[in-house]
Amino acid sequence: MMATAGEQVRAYRLAAEPGTRVLVASLGLACCAMEVESAVRLGLLRADADAADPSDRTVLLVAGTVTDALAPAVRAIVDELPAGTPIVSFGACAGTGGPYWDAPTVTKGVDQLVPVAQYIPGCPPRPEALVAGLLALPFGVAR
Amino acid sequence: MSAESRTVAREAWEETLGDLKAQGFAYLDLLTAIDRGDQIEVVAHVVEPVSAGQIRVSTRVPAVDPRLATATQLFPAAAWHEREAAEMFGLVFDGHPDPRPLLRRASPGRPPLRTATVLAARVAVPWPGAADPESAGKGARRRQLPPGVPVDWLDETST
Amino acid sequence: MSPVAHGVIALLPEACTSCMICVRECPTWCITVESHAEQVGEPGARRPRTVSILDRFAIDFGLCMYCGICIDVCPFDALEWAPAIDNSAANRNDLVHDTERLAGWRMHD
Ligand code: SF4
Ligand code: SF4
Repeated sequence: MMATAGEQVRAYRLAAEPGTRVLVASLGLACCAMEVESAVRLGLLRADADAADPSDRTVLLVAGTVTDALAPAVRAIVDELPAGTPIVSFGACAGTGGPYWDAPTVTKGVDQLVPVAQYIPGCPPRPEALVAGLLALPFGVAR
Repeated sequence: MSAESRTVAREAWEETLGDLKAQGFAYLDLLTAIDRGDQIEVVAHVVEPVSAGQIRVSTRVPAVDPRLATATQLFPAAAWHEREAAEMFGLVFDGHPDPRPLLRRASPGRPPLRTATVLAARVAVPWPGAADPESAGKGARRRQLPPGVPVDWLDETST
Repeated sequence: MSPVAHGVIALLPEACTSCMICVRECPTWCITVESHAEQVGEPGARRPRTVSILDRFAIDFGLCMYCGICIDVCPFDALEWAPAIDNSAANRNDLVHDTERLAGWRMHD
């Protein structure tokens, strides 16, 4: 557990590419959080990443529905990270609002708050899609 | 298990819930509302924890005067339910200790779950189903509207 | 992974009649169909028949909630689940898959 923004970030490593450190904004945002948890259960994400290595490529994963009420909390997490940390949006809600595209309480995608480096579509996406999306992340561009 | 239903007058709301609580229905499972046109129906589910028996209590308030006594003195758990119902349906719960909007703190706007409230996204986004290939070249046969959108919504905003 | 896993939705363009049913039933308004009408003369027929020709079919997977309603309601079985998972994008607009890409996802003819 990293002490940041109310301890709301958990750190993992991508098993397929351990130099990729994945910070999960664990705000309990709907069903996508379960798929991320499932990626941990399947061993696709490893929970041994509290200590960052200087060579790590760190990303922030936002998974699930961001509501307007919750948006400041997401913003606060982003603001505590080093500038330029790529943001990966996981699932239709985080990407665009998804099923809640017409809801008056839901932010229409986390890219309304911060630029997104990679969008992983799905409702919810499979854990395998999370790995594929992280591997596809254009690090060269983001760093 | 289907719950027993009771419908009461607005004036009897608090007393009914109080009687049920005294009979052991001490757990408030749900409190929400339904837009019935001229009236807003408020519904509460109370549960008797030992037998898990449930009772559904409902009342109606006029849409133009949507006030109802708060149930928070009886069931503290009603606080968030009432805040949400107030925000979504424009209800006023008299005596609520903290009546701030629950979900849209900064810009409450019109109550979004009143059926007459236009959801901005549904107006701002063109409906892809409006295209009518069947009548291509023959002139539109009938106007297509997205499901659940009142006929005059598009008129209101197309000008 | 199961061949019916909800990875992506495939289109069989030759089966699609551009009837618009899926477009109108989609809860997130994420399907676009563009088509035009053509007159087709058939041997033995007295008058030419008007048919819709599909110009463009697109699904915005950024919005799609994977409900499968489009697949269920299509009277011509022109849509089906496919297991692809590798469809993330750096650019929001690249989540919109058009006819060719959707046809490429199909599992069989
Ligand atoms: S699965 Fe549902 S949301 Fe996605 S395109 Fe089909 S109808 Fe629309
Ligand atoms: S319902 Fe089927 S045939 Fe009709 S437009 Fe959609 S995919 Fe094509």
